[in-house]
Amino acid sequence: MDPSEVEFLAEKELVKIVPNFSLDKIYLIGGDLGPFNPGLPVDVPLWLALNFKQRQKCRIIPPDWMDVEKLEEIRELEKREEAFTPVPSPYYMELTKLLLNHASDNIPKADEIRTLVKDIWDTRIAKLRLSADSFISQQEAHAKLDNLTLLEINTIREFLLNSLNCMFKLRSNLQAGSSGRTFTDY
Amino acid sequence: MLTTATREDLTDESGEKRSSQSFWWRIKPSALLSSQSGPPLPVLWSSSCLLVLLLFFLLLLSSGPPPLLPPPPVFWSSSSSSSSSCLLVLLLFFLLLLSSGPPLPPVFWSSSSSSSSSCLLVLLLFFLLLLSSGPPPPPVFWSSSSSSSSSCLLVLLLFFLLLLSSGPPPLLPPPPVFWSSSSSSSSSCLLVLLLFFLLLLSSGPPPLLPPPPVFWSSSSSSSSSCLLVLLLFFLLLLSSGPPPPPVLWSSSSSCWGALDPHIAPLCSPSDFMVKVVEVADSSQQKTLRGHEAPVLSVTFDPKDEFLASASCDGSVVVWDIEEQTRVISWPLLKKTNDVSNATSLCRLAFQPSSGKFLAVPVETKVHLYERGSWEHAATLSDDLLTQPINVVSWSPCGRFLAAGAVGGSLMVWDVNSKLCVERQKHEKGFSVCSLAWHPSGRQVAYTDTEGCLGLLDGLTTSISAIDQAPTKKPAKDFNDLFDDDDDDQLMDEGLSDSHSPARKPATRDEDDDDLVIPSTGRVKNRGAILDDENSLDTASLRFGEDKPGDEEDAGRALGPVAPPPLLPSRPAYEGPLPSPPQKAFQPGSTPAHLTHRFMMWNSVGIVRGYNDEQDNAIDVEFHDSAVHHAMHLTNSLGHTMADISQEAVLLACPSTEELASKLQCLHFSSWDTNKEWMVDMPNGEDVKALCLGQGWAAVATSALMVRLFSIGGVQREVFSLPGPVVCMAGHGEQLLVVYHRATGFDGDQALGVQLLQLSRRRRRVLSGEPLPLSHKSYLSWLGFTGEGTPCFVDSEGVVRMLNRALANTWTPVCNTRDTCKSKSDHYWVVGVHENPQQLRCIPCKGSRYPPTLPRPALAILPFKLPLCQTTTEKGQMEEQFWRSALFHNHYCFLSTSGFEVDEDAQTRSEKEKQELLMKMFALSCRLEREFRCVELAELMTQNVVPLAIRYASRSRRMALAQRLSEIAMEKTIQSQEEEPEEEDEDLRYSGIRRSSEFGEAELAGGRRASRLQEEEAEFRGQRSAPSEEEEEETQTGTNVNPFAKETGSPVTPSVTAVGKAGRANPFKVSGAGKSSASAQPRATNILDSMTSGRKSAPLSGPAAKASKSPVLKPLAPRPKTKTQSTLLQMATSKTKKAEEDKEPPADLPKQAEAPPPASENQRPKTGFQLWLEENRKSITADGPDLDETEVIREAMGRFRALSAEERLAWTDRAKGHDGDAADGKKRKRAEEERSAAAAEDTAHDAKKKKPLESASRLSAFAFNQN
Repeated sequence: MDPSEVEFLAEKELVKIVPNFSLDKIYLIGGDLGPFNPGLPVDVPLWLALNFKQRQKCRIIPPDWMDVEKLEEIRELEKREEAFTPVPSPYYMELTKLLLNHASDNIPKADEIRTLVKDIWDTRIAKLRLSADSFISQQEAHAKLDNLTLLEINTIREFLLNSLNCMFKLRSNLQAGSSGRTFTDY
Repeated sequence: MLTTATREDLTDESGEKRSSQSFWWRIKPSALLSSQSGPPLPVLWSSSCLLVLLLFFLLLLSSGPPPLLPPPPVFWSSSSSSSSSCLLVLLLFFLLLLSSGPPLPPVFWSSSSSSSSSCLLVLLLFFLLLLSSGPPPPPVFWSSSSSSSSSCLLVLLLFFLLLLSSGPPPLLPPPPVFWSSSSSSSSSCLLVLLLFFLLLLSSGPPPLLPPPPVFWSSSSSSSSSCLLVLLLFFLLLLSSGPPPPPVLWSSSSSCWGALDPHIAPLCSPSDFMVKVVEVADSSQQKTLRGHEAPVLSVTFDPKDEFLASASCDGSVVVWDIEEQTRVISWPLLKKTNDVSNATSLCRLAFQPSSGKFLAVPVETKVHLYERGSWEHAATLSDDLLTQPINVVSWSPCGRFLAAGAVGGSLMVWDVNSKLCVERQKHEKGFSVCSLAWHPSGRQVAYTDTEGCLGLLDGLTTSISAIDQAPTKKPAKDFNDLFDDDDDDQLMDEGLSDSHSPARKPATRDEDDDDLVIPSTGRVKNRGAILDDENSLDTASLRFGEDKPGDEEDAGRALGPVAPPPLLPSRPAYEGPLPSPPQKAFQPGSTPAHLTHRFMMWNSVGIVRGYNDEQDNAIDVEFHDSAVHHAMHLTNSLGHTMADISQEAVLLACPSTEELASKLQCLHFSSWDTNKEWMVDMPNGEDVKALCLGQGWAAVATSALMVRLFSIGGVQREVFSLPGPVVCMAGHGEQLLVVYHRATGFDGDQALGVQLLQLSRRRRRVLSGEPLPLSHKSYLSWLGFTGEGTPCFVDSEGVVRMLNRALANTWTPVCNTRDTCKSKSDHYWVVGVHENPQQLRCIPCKGSRYPPTLPRPALAILPFKLPLCQTTTEKGQMEEQFWRSALFHNHYCFLSTSGFEVDEDAQTRSEKEKQELLMKMFALSCRLEREFRCVELAELMTQNVVPLAIRYASRSRRMALAQRLSEIAMEKTIQSQEEEPEEEDEDLRYSGIRRSSEFGEAELAGGRRASRLQEEEAEFRGQRSAPSEEEEEETQTGTNVNPFAKETGSPVTPSVTAVGKAGRANPFKVSGAGKSSASAQPRATNILDSMTSGRKSAPLSGPAAKASKSPVLKPLAPRPKTKTQSTLLQMATSKTKKAEEDKEPPADLPKQAEAPPPASENQRPKTGFQLWLEENRKSITADGPDLDETEVIREAMGRFRALSAEERLAWTDRAKGHDGDAADGKKRKRAEEERSAAAAEDTAHDAKKKKPLESASRLSAFAFNQN
């Protein structure tokens, strides 16, 4: 799966915007949106919010969790805990990225938030690598990882699968070789 | 009376007594010192020794205590001390001591060879050298035996000349040695001495008295030259005045005492005792022994019986002076070993005059001990005091106690109430070491340890007033007091006779109470201010508008009327107190004192004001960027008020000293190039509130006026308000003004509200009704809902809305505080919308209004009527129902004020209401509350009642169903009665129009007749042959046979039938019927009456009218055959049957005449065709021999002759026929029903019977269905 695909999925997340135009309900396949009243917050999918934002038709209200204090708390928790902690949003990374890239003027302390989310991400990815390492080194058959987001799974998937395949091959070769050798020995 | 004496006082006073008060001395060389007072007695001592000793003591006395006192020489007490050489050494020794740091003289100075001439030369040079560096020490041979040689004398002469030339020497050279030598009487020596004294004389009074010459006591003193020298010596003494007292005298710093005119207690820190001395004759010394450490302070009691002392041993002791015994001792203080180590000076004080209390500073508190019993009576303390108290002092009146503490704190307590009434801090924080009250009691002087003297001022006049009060005559006395203090009291006095004897004692008591009250005026004031500040702190929050300056005003305004409750001094008024009137404010703005504030936030946009160092600017931002782009203005005028609408931004500033109050309007929607205008208010008039409506702006000023402007800047009406404005709001053509109606009490505000309609028909909807605020709250927001219903929010968070349906009462629709999580959270309302039901507000954590940054987010609160038991299902539904009813009132208002109404929404809301009623009905049914069910059914519209009936019958509640059917009947009757009324009104208007059109005065009777015609049209129309006489009668207003006219208006039945349809077929025409029809019937009715009126005039042919009736009929009966299957049809047919009994001839022919349904297709398509259809007969009647084309031509001519309105109406009708093809059936059915109803109208006895029957049939049907 491509990261862009994950991002595409993330764009379905609802965010609050304050439109500066007036529009009746719009009827879309995904559901009805609006009505849009100027000055009145309304929930729309991220893709629409970004579209409006780019056309300067709205002001995006950052999600509740996109707040320095809350993120700091999460970061601390993430650092403290051995396992993965629940994240504020299943698309936290994508949302942060998109919102900060396109609407950083609507988000107070955007830079700090960027750093914090990156920290959280790094911590989690490090954990993920660590667990992958221990998973392989202990030669477990299966593992259970809770609270992983799609993007995180996606980043490790390719590498993990490939490496597992490789190792499988190597192992089977080794066994085959050894058995073959023994076989030839006989 | 001095409670503490200063140091100088002490020395001056006691200076005279020094001889008798030897215990004053710290060091006691008493014999020696006592001899100091006069010149030495010549024979008493050996002269040279005396000289040395004198020098020694002079040395000690001068220049303060030397750092290290040199030990006196050994021969001090030896017998050989009087030898001249020893004296020389001593002299040198002292000279050395006296002169501080002169260069060491050459070695040969003291060698025996020093008198050789060469040496003298060197010495000469040496003196020259010294010349520059101050006075030189005299040469050694000064005192050598060879000093009297002439050459030596030369050197000495030079030496003295040198000294003389260099002005008065800072340090006096000692007299030459030969002063005391036996050879001093030689003439040359005398010359030197003479010079020496001249030198002394020239340098003014010498700081140190030179000792008398040696020959003073020598036998040779009587020689003339010696006498000359002595003479000079005494001259010198005389010129220098009396010798100063020894410095030591005044340096005994640790001595402390208290003086009283007669006796002085004195204590010596070093000997641990207190002595009491009669000052007058220094007799009667009394010694009080018992302290085990240096004494810190002493004080007399004002009656001279006792004496209190505090000591470093930690005890405070009261002594009986007469008995010289200890009365009581308290171990109160910290023990220390010396005065210098004591933490506090611990100055005690007896209360003046009575001496009732002894005040003892103990650490940070002051203990009061009662005289006599010496029991601990009270403790005065103050939380803010952290450091030990040094000194206490009673006010002259004995009511207040001042205290000074180590850290520089100064307090004044009221002893009676034990309250701290004044609290000050030394600005530099030096310890206060002494305090003294001004005899008037208004000031306290204090000194600190750094030697500064301070004055604590402003301790108010009340003390003096109190002091004087008792001396005055009683009556006068309270008048004065009351004049000073208190208007209330005066009023109180005024009520009862203040001079009546019965009253007097009471008032006196009050007076006494008053006197007891501690407060000094200043403190009183401060209390008041504090109180005001407190209240206004909250108030400023609450009002959101208060400036600091205003607060003072408010305080002042409050002050005279409402004495702050803190002060118990006001004896009388305990009733409700007036509350300060709230300031004018702009709804949707944050307080003006903020540097960054919202000047306005409404549903159109946001106006922000910035007023900080860098910038004084206004930002205008529109929610809808389509209205206008954002604006940034510099706020050079200092605007404080703003409003924003779709058309303009209105700004106003208060007046300043030089500039008048200004109103500025940014009319951005203007289509010309001038987008701005400005108006100055008249002098002395300040803008207090402003608002914008549609096409107008309103400004309320401090002159209690409301000025209206057009949005382009034209001045319009001006009117006065009954009170100071609080705020205003505008919407469309409505102006809402809230003002102070009266003075509120107990925290309530008495506000009045006016609602004006500024449309062409100006009227006042609300004319100053009281605005119902919550208890102890004030107005915090005022405005209109998006739909134009007035609305306001008070500080308790209750949102109230005008209920136009309930005689313009105010209904609370929401309490924002209910949704707040914490008590300090608030919602800042910015807008209210009825459809959808939204309360737009900004949640503010811990404040009443939001900050500008970060940009606050809007939240939407739901409305909730404060109905009981909303947790239950029933309560919930009731709440929903009434809320829905309330929030749909605006449709009614809008339609009456001529705005177009979203009918879909209206019908939806109506439907919602009825659904809720139905639900409630069902719930009540389930709960077996049948009476309640009936009540609910009464609220339903008539087309929902049948549903209720069905529900009731399904749930097998026969009695209920029966009652419901009665209700249904009543409703139908009501609706029938209502309709004619409506028509009546319409007709009145149309009548007016008609009369103006035709220029003939129509009688009211005529109009009534035409109405009746309509009602009875069909019935009568179905009757047989009308006559011309009847027609004539109709014209004159009698109510006989309208049939002829009715024939001309075929649509009439359909018009009135719409309502009927609603009644008749509830299951199909649910809900919509009545409202949607309201517009159409009116127009057609007017038309009908007009056409009928018109036709009746020109067309008088009875034949025409008679022949027209068939034209009408085909439309009417046709549906009858088609819609037999409906319930309604059943009812009507039954009705018909009932009717038939009475009027068979009318009904039956009609049935027979029913045309085939096919006629529907041939319906006329245009208005003209329709008209032609109707009027063809009359045309043909007029000209029977015309052919078809001629008929049409004639018809066209006549049609053109019709007024434009009529033609339009015809066209509409034609279209109606066309478009409503689907409705046709319904309408016709209704029409037929109508005919039945009309029939009943005339048959009065039948009227009652029929609905009953139909209704019972309804229920019966329902049961059958079931």
